[in-house]
Amino acid sequence: MAAVANMPVSDLLKSFKLKTKQQELLIRVSILCLVYILAFITRLFSVLRYESMIHEFDPYFNYRTTLYLTQNGFYDFWNWFDYESWYPLGRIVGGTLYPGLMVTAALIYRILHFLRFAVHIREVCVLTAPFFASNTTLVAYFFGKEIWDTGAGLVAAILIAVCPGYISRSVAGSYDNEGVAIFALLFTFYLFVKAVNTGSLAWSLASAFGYFYMVSAWGGYVFIINLIPLYVLVLLITGRYSMRLYVAYNCMYVLGMLLAMQIRFVGFQHVQSGEHMAAMGVFFLMQVFYFLDWVKHMLSDTKLFQAFLRITVTCAVTVGTIALGLGMLSGYISPWTGRFYSLLDPTYAKDHIPIIASVSEHQPTAWSSFMFDFHILLFLFPAGLYFCFKRLSDATIFIVMYGLTSMYFAGVMVRLILVATPAVCLISAIAVSATVKNLTVLLRSKNKGVQTGSTKGSGSSKASSKALLDQSQPFQKNGAIALLFGAFYLLSKYATHCTWVTSEAYSSPSIVLAARGAHGSRVIFDDYREAYFWLRQNTPPDAKVMSWWDYGYQITAMGNRTVIVDNNTWNNTHIATVGRAMSSYEDEAIEIMRSLDVDYVLVVFGGVTGYSSDDINKFLWMVRIGGGVFPVIKEPDYLVNGEYRVDKGAAPKMLNCLMYKLCYYRFGEMLTEYGKPPGYDRARGVEIGNKDIKLEHLEEAFTTSNWIVRIYKVKPPNNRW
Amino acid sequence: MSQKSRMAPKPDPQSASNVAAADAAAAQFSMDPFFHILKLVPFSFLRPPRLRLKLPSFSLPSAMTVFSLILLTYFMVVSGFIYDVIVEPPGIGSTQDPATGAVRPVVFLPGRVNGQYIIEGLSSGFMFVLGGIGIVLLDLALDKNRARSIKVSYSIAGISSIVIAYVMTTLFVRIKIPGYLR
Repeated sequence: MAAVANMPVSDLLKSFKLKTKQQELLIRVSILCLVYILAFITRLFSVLRYESMIHEFDPYFNYRTTLYLTQNGFYDFWNWFDYESWYPLGRIVGGTLYPGLMVTAALIYRILHFLRFAVHIREVCVLTAPFFASNTTLVAYFFGKEIWDTGAGLVAAILIAVCPGYISRSVAGSYDNEGVAIFALLFTFYLFVKAVNTGSLAWSLASAFGYFYMVSAWGGYVFIINLIPLYVLVLLITGRYSMRLYVAYNCMYVLGMLLAMQIRFVGFQHVQSGEHMAAMGVFFLMQVFYFLDWVKHMLSDTKLFQAFLRITVTCAVTVGTIALGLGMLSGYISPWTGRFYSLLDPTYAKDHIPIIASVSEHQPTAWSSFMFDFHILLFLFPAGLYFCFKRLSDATIFIVMYGLTSMYFAGVMVRLILVATPAVCLISAIAVSATVKNLTVLLRSKNKGVQTGSTKGSGSSKASSKALLDQSQPFQKNGAIALLFGAFYLLSKYATHCTWVTSEAYSSPSIVLAARGAHGSRVIFDDYREAYFWLRQNTPPDAKVMSWWDYGYQITAMGNRTVIVDNNTWNNTHIATVGRAMSSYEDEAIEIMRSLDVDYVLVVFGGVTGYSSDDINKFLWMVRIGGGVFPVIKEPDYLVNGEYRVDKGAAPKMLNCLMYKLCYYRFGEMLTEYGKPPGYDRARGVEIGNKDIKLEHLEEAFTTSNWIVRIYKVKPPNNRW
Repeated sequence: MSQKSRMAPKPDPQSASNVAAADAAAAQFSMDPFFHILKLVPFSFLRPPRLRLKLPSFSLPSAMTVFSLILLTYFMVVSGFIYDVIVEPPGIGSTQDPATGAVRPVVFLPGRVNGQYIIEGLSSGFMFVLGGIGIVLLDLALDKNRARSIKVSYSIAGISSIVIAYVMTTLFVRIKIPGYLR
């Protein structure tokens, strides 16, 4: 009876026993599923700690436009003129943004509503970035498989799922272009490399559409349109010209360019801007190569061909240079814009464009930022480059070029570590995969050696060599096992580091501040939202708010009021006007404010809480930008011996300018810290110089509970008698 | 037959004349317009000297040469060289001991993640490159075509490089960021 009962069980087990190939497929699919889930949940720290809200500044504009899109439809969104920002200029929203992110989120929203999941658009916006991060891990797997093998693909997926360089801009709540753009970037590169490897028209078309998605998503598409021609050029120089390359590049360039012109913000830049000329140049060079190849095929005389080659190349280069020169001289081809030129010449922004230089994300990178964002990938990157150079092919040349160019740009600007992350992860994955493969080959070779030694005859030399082999093999096997454990240890340290960095450094919403209280408890400062909600409820609907440009997007999105300048920073003179108003004495400032119809002024002040990103710390940038347009504002007026101070020894212009007065109004009576005099500024660590502040043309309207945001109302002019 | 030499030299007179001297019959059929112009003026009345010159031919460097150049560039980028050029921090910081008044050097810039002194950047960059080279040495050690003693020494060097680099890097980060992994 027991035997009968046992038999079906063993038959059942036998039917479940998979072949090796199926086992491998099962392992791969389960790893990818786990990685997909991991990439999503590691980005959810801030949602769990605070609540599901949008972070930072720029995402608020994206959220507002997505809201408008879902409420009013695509055509109204595409033709939207926003009169609530940049008063009195307004902003043509449809023509000055990259719509990819908003359209993607709106599409997901519509699909979910179609399936009868009635989610709010804010939830969709908050979780868009983690969703696309998970998709990026899948693309990284396929890309790794294309470059090296499936093992490298799996490791690449795992590495990119938790890499802090990517998490920093794609955490839940960070509803910004980069969350979608990195997916589009990697996807386009994967499709292009696949097209070059296979030479198929279908893959080339797919890469053109991938490029279109990237152009619609982020201004960083300029990287793609310069890296791919550079890659094609390198292939041509190293003698790897082939029909596959010709098909892939031509199709991708022409179709991609035509599709990119559909985005109004990009417009005709692909034929008019200096940044896109490299692609066009390489396009024509490819035609020359094809032509020469065809002529060589037709001619049988080599000497004749050499002469023809020389003439053609000379003519082509001359014609190209003349055309480029004519284009640049006549002004049809615009030179490189400041943002991208400062990547090639990093000292340019510091001297010429203070707005670009003032953003903290645009500073060059120090070693600790690299370490923070990459950890052991910094070791694996050069090793991976070595393996790529050992096995050069079209695909590995691409990934090497992508890695090197993106690492250089990451060194120039901290923000661009994000673009370098996929390349670093892929190359490191190659290193890990190749090393692990070497070690496991060592582990397996021992068995084979023993078997061949035992099957052969036992000659004396064989015996001695076998003895030698036997002596070293266990040592090698143990060494390989130890090294495998070492690799496992390093990778687990990497995972720990990444999770710690994500939790501590990259999961703060920036709009809600947290600090450790006296007994280690967490204290939350929700002052920003308090102030914006007050604005929304207690001011007339057509009120205009003047603040520094950092807060513009948040004021329009949450406070629902018109602002003078916001984060788009497209008009330097307008920002300089606001900067001038903030740095002038109150009498001059009120003239400027009346001319701009300002009703409320909003400043951010960190003296009570010790918050260091407040307007007093940003004040010098207001002076510099204002002084750049209006020479009446001179930076040395606000400094004492080149030093920026707010205490008794500060410059008189500093102690009486509008920003100082608005920040420190009534602060002189405030006791902020035990044992310090009243009016002690905790962010600067000094007692302020001018405690008795009287405002003549403004009155205080609202100060938040921790004094972080202060709103002042502009008094109407006195009645004349 | 080369088809990819972008540097197409103008056929200079010496080589043109050499070709003409070597292959008189082919000279008749030359398609090169420059050659014909030069044949007319000035070389119908000037006689070029007989020289034995060759155009310098350039060959692409080997893969490993390029790799070592790249390693050098990587070292410079990752040690924050561009940060050093733009922000111009001091080579090493200094702080004054409040008790004795002596000036003590400070190697790691405290307080921010994205800031460094020059020396701390260079030493960290060196550690990163050392770790990378360690992994490369490990791969070289597994190459079958070497003597066993070299393989053993490569593997020992590789393992020790990786261990030292990882330990030092973790130490540097712990010094720089006081709350690291807590």
